[in-house]
Amino acid sequence: MAEVVLSRVRRDFGAVTAVHDLNLAIAEGEFVSLLGPSGCGKTTTLRMLAGLEFPTGGEIRIGGRVVNDVPPAKRDIAMVFQSYALYPHLSVADNIAYPLKKRGVPRAERRPKVERTAELLQLTPLLDRKPRQLSGGQQQRVALGRALVRDPKVFLLDEPLSNLDAKLRIHMRAELVELHQRLGRTMVYVTHDQLEAMTMSDRIAIIDQGRLQQFAPPQEVYHAPANRFVAGFIGTPGMNLIEGTLSQEGGAWCFTAPGLRIAVGQLTDDAQAGPATLGLRPEDVTVGAGPVSGIVRVVEQSGHENIIIVEIAGNERLTLRIPASILPRTGDTVALAPDATHAHVFAAGEAGQRLNTATARPRPQTL
Amino acid sequence: MTTVPQTHLERRYAALGLLLIAPTVLVFCVVIVYPLISAVYLSLFSIFTPTLQGEWVGLSNYQALLSTGEFWTSLGNNVIWTVGTLVLQIVFGVAMALVLHENLWFRALARSLILFPYFVSTVVAVLVWKWLFNDLYGILNHLMIVAGLIEFPLDHLGSMPNAMISVIIVGAWKYFPFVVIAVLARLQTIPEQLYEAARIDGAGPFARFWDITLPQLREVLVVIVLLRAIWDFKEFDLIFLLTGGGPIIGTQTLPLLVYKEAFALNRMGMAAAYAVVMMALMLAFMLIYIRQTRRRES
Ligand SMILES: Nc1ncnc2c1ncn2[C@@H]1O[C@H](COP(=O)(O)OP(=O)(O)OP(=O)(O)O)[C@@H](O)[C@H]1O
Ligand SMILES: [Mg+2]
Repeated sequence: MAEVVLSRVRRDFGAVTAVHDLNLAIAEGEFVSLLGPSGCGKTTTLRMLAGLEFPTGGEIRIGGRVVNDVPPAKRDIAMVFQSYALYPHLSVADNIAYPLKKRGVPRAERRPKVERTAELLQLTPLLDRKPRQLSGGQQQRVALGRALVRDPKVFLLDEPLSNLDAKLRIHMRAELVELHQRLGRTMVYVTHDQLEAMTMSDRIAIIDQGRLQQFAPPQEVYHAPANRFVAGFIGTPGMNLIEGTLSQEGGAWCFTAPGLRIAVGQLTDDAQAGPATLGLRPEDVTVGAGPVSGIVRVVEQSGHENIIIVEIAGNERLTLRIPASILPRTGDTVALAPDATHAHVFAAGEAGQRLNTATARPRPQTL
Repeated sequence: MTTVPQTHLERRYAALGLLLIAPTVLVFCVVIVYPLISAVYLSLFSIFTPTLQGEWVGLSNYQALLSTGEFWTSLGNNVIWTVGTLVLQIVFGVAMALVLHENLWFRALARSLILFPYFVSTVVAVLVWKWLFNDLYGILNHLMIVAGLIEFPLDHLGSMPNAMISVIIVGAWKYFPFVVIAVLARLQTIPEQLYEAARIDGAGPFARFWDITLPQLREVLVVIVLLRAIWDFKEFDLIFLLTGGGPIIGTQTLPLLVYKEAFALNRMGMAAAYAVVMMALMLAFMLIYIRQTRRRES
């Protein structure tokens, strides 16, 4: 039993509230990412799970036990720090063995465990080295090893890949996922890299300014963002958010903005006629024929696709992702067809909630 | 070694380098090399200090020196003083640095106060301590009697081993701030995450000190110990002012002996011989220190 439950967890630093009444229930064996912009409270949340920081309110339970007052060593968690925090004067083997040693595991039992961990992480040839004699990726693996060797219930990882170069990061990403599958342990992973969160997690907790915005699987976060913040935060290039008006015509909802008129399908009971925001992913607008017309302002070619910025009526600019085979020129007038089935509608304002009824609308699978 | 053929420019560059360091080398020779050589030279004469008249005696000063009990007693005192005061300086210095490293509200104030003994002039410090130690009206005896530690006033400076203990304590008091400052500077560079990782790994406060703080302090402690050992070994004014080397020669260290030979007994040649022997002893510390700093740089 290693589910992690946060109930109304709060952390104040003087006048600053780093975490606001956070509710999060992480299932046993789940890989959960905490994702959000810098300063949103990810690290603070993770440190509260580790016991390095204490909540000023609320309750944290790990494996059913309230751990608010339990010191880090007694929580049966392991943490990997962004800076790795390897003990500089100890060899790789001693670094990995340290948590066992401090828990009174006899030397004879430590040895095979360290060796097994080293093998798992391909550290065997490096066991006698000191941390400063290792590359960033190797240090990262030692930090992982030190966490793994004890076989804790929950792994906490604070941006463990952010000090690595792009190529190594992708490699370690895959290794971490594989490791998670093999161990089946609960993992809480802090990152500000949405690609990492999207590719690795079972579920993503998106946090902004200390408040949970959405807690859902990556596909749902992408295809059914809970509010305007999540819609704008997830996806590169970001979702186009257009201010306009919502109206009901003969029982069907319709969104209008200058030069744009779109039937948006089923909405929740919260939907009201009046100002609202429409969200369109860059890939959910086809170029070539359609009711909307615009002028191409920017064209970016990236090989397998083109990204263009089109200005429509009312000075609204849309970023669109189109196949590499279509290459308009700057200044061209193009016709656009927004895909109404993939249009997102949010209540007016910065914090506008999602109004579409469908909770997730994954793209049709073609195999 | 291979000799790389030098271009004209490189040769001119080398000449410029020589020219630029020449003043330093010159000053170094005048203030260090010349006194050093002249000390060795003087030690080969028997010289009457007031007139500085002397005659060549070869190595007989050294022969005399090694066969007198006073030299060996002073050397022994010197070692006891150096080791004693150094150990106290390190223990109190590290302990105080650890306390000051904690987030105390009065930390800034405490840090400046702690430097006080180091900055106060030795003469003033010794006067104050002499007053504290006084066997007739000193506050130390008063407090010890009130606390029931002793029945009658103790002679802190005039009897052995009290005098040596007092000197060692005053030395530790005067110089431990140096250790505090050096250790504190190093403590502040130890990443907090190491301690956090250790807490998660199950290390208690003592284990964290032993497994993280001490290894991180190791290098700076080696340097502190070597530097302070050299400085304490040749300490003169503090001991001279506090006890004058007494009772009899109970706290007389080699620097005091050199002074006594040169200016009380008027035997400059003999004093020079003592000084040269002292220098040779300190050279050992120096070499270790140089090796240590070299290793750190590489
Ligand atoms: N010890 C502290 N004292 C005061 N404020 C703090 C402290 N730790 C964090 N904060 C504040 O709490 C907020 C959340 O910080 P936190 O480190 O959790 O952010 P984060 O999401 O991890 O950001 P990043 O992606 O930059 O690491 C920030 O506004 C930060 O300034
Ligand atoms: Mg952080």
